[in-house]
Amino acid sequence: MATDKLQREEKTIKVSALTDGTVIDHLAGGTGLRVLRVLGLDKGTMGPVAIGLALDSRKLGKKDLIKIEKREITQEEVNKIALISPEATLSIIRGTHVVRKFRPEIPDLLESVVRCLNPSCVSNHERIKSRFRVLKRDPLRLRCEYCERAISGDDVELL
Amino acid sequence: MNPRQSPASPATRAEMAARFVGRDITSMRDFTTDELLFVLDLSEEFEGSDEPRLKGKILANLFFEPSTRTRLSFHSAMARLGGQVIGFADANVSSVSKGESLSDTIRMVENYCDAIVIRHKFEGAARLAAESTHLPVINAGDGANQHPTQTLLDLYTIRRIHGAFEGLRVAFLGDLRYSRTVHSLIESLARFNTELVCVSPPQLRLPGDILDDLFERGVRVREEFNPTILPQDVDILYTTRIQKERFPDPVDYEKVKNAYQLDRKALSIYPSRVTVMHPLPRVNEISPDLDDYEGAAYFQQAKNGVTVRKTLLSLVLGVV
Repeated sequence: MATDKLQREEKTIKVSALTDGTVIDHLAGGTGLRVLRVLGLDKGTMGPVAIGLALDSRKLGKKDLIKIEKREITQEEVNKIALISPEATLSIIRGTHVVRKFRPEIPDLLESVVRCLNPSCVSNHERIKSRFRVLKRDPLRLRCEYCERAISGDDVELL
Repeated sequence: MNPRQSPASPATRAEMAARFVGRDITSMRDFTTDELLFVLDLSEEFEGSDEPRLKGKILANLFFEPSTRTRLSFHSAMARLGGQVIGFADANVSSVSKGESLSDTIRMVENYCDAIVIRHKFEGAARLAAESTHLPVINAGDGANQHPTQTLLDLYTIRRIHGAFEGLRVAFLGDLRYSRTVHSLIESLARFNTELVCVSPPQLRLPGDILDDLFERGVRVREEFNPTILPQDVDILYTTRIQKERFPDPVDYEKVKNAYQLDRKALSIYPSRVTVMHPLPRVNEISPDLDDYEGAAYFQQAKNGVTVRKTLLSLVLGVV
């Protein structure tokens, strides 16, 4: 219990220490680095980012956490997180206040989020945004709006 | 739907026709079953009628990939209705060979015509073309994806011969993996109460996502993997060419290129006439000795292509 309390306090300190930016919490354990990569935060060019990996979580067992300073996450990025770890919680911080806290939801249409695995798909040859229609959410199944190939969640490759 | 029943009432006819004005024909998935049947009904009306209703209209035939039947039949359909055709039959003579994007080519071409027909090797190219212009775009084949006008002419041919789709047993033979014609036709026949048999070498079986979709929809479908043994209990044999150009590895093509051949002897197992269809061109799949077989429907398909394309061009150009 004491450890739990300490972790909760630590988490509070991390969030409140952020003046402006985004906190991505409750990422399923092991997905943090992938989220970091698909958001392009692993290149060190985006400003300060803090990441916590394999933190104890009562809800998830293990969770990852990412704190991005001075940048609010875009809808496109939210959609990517929804595909990687739908149970995550996102908090937008402005002037140390949480102005919005929400869970990512997989929208009906995913634009510029998923790469089409079909090498003959026009989206892999012309300068256009990829576009996938969500056929089913659980288990995840998508259809490329261009080449019409359907893919399952396991085969999803994020842009 | 019984083709003998009279065409839709005038109000419904006008209403249905209005849905097609300026519309893109890129995929059979975009058609409701009502719309599909409407195109077939209207094609029956248009068969043999060549009023110059498209006089003054120009069609751009953009064939980035080679084609004989589809290109010429669009040309013929337009010419028979009094319209004119511009375009090219080879990507090497277009600006694409200079590196122009597909969207730019379409934006340029839209200034010269009233409708665009496109064939392209990349899947989804027709959809992209449709997004690049306000003009109606008709897909004449995009890689291994869709070929809606072929599907409509196949459906038209089947209904002309068999009267209805319900209860038909259709076998698909040959390259079920890469054949866009097969994919589109299967998707459309699955809407009716048909039974589908997919006969192919294992390497060329129907893609898993299409099979999954059929199973989920409760369609009666089964697979067989020896194309030399014809299924007995069918009304139609829809045969396809093993398409050399779709194989990434030529060795794989050599293994399956002569997987089957239909001739009179092979068809002797059927007690009564079976309909033999093929989108053409054929190579070795159908022996010429079948050409005068009473069930041979492949040249009729090619002929019906003009009728169906006349209908579609009239619909999207709003002259019905």
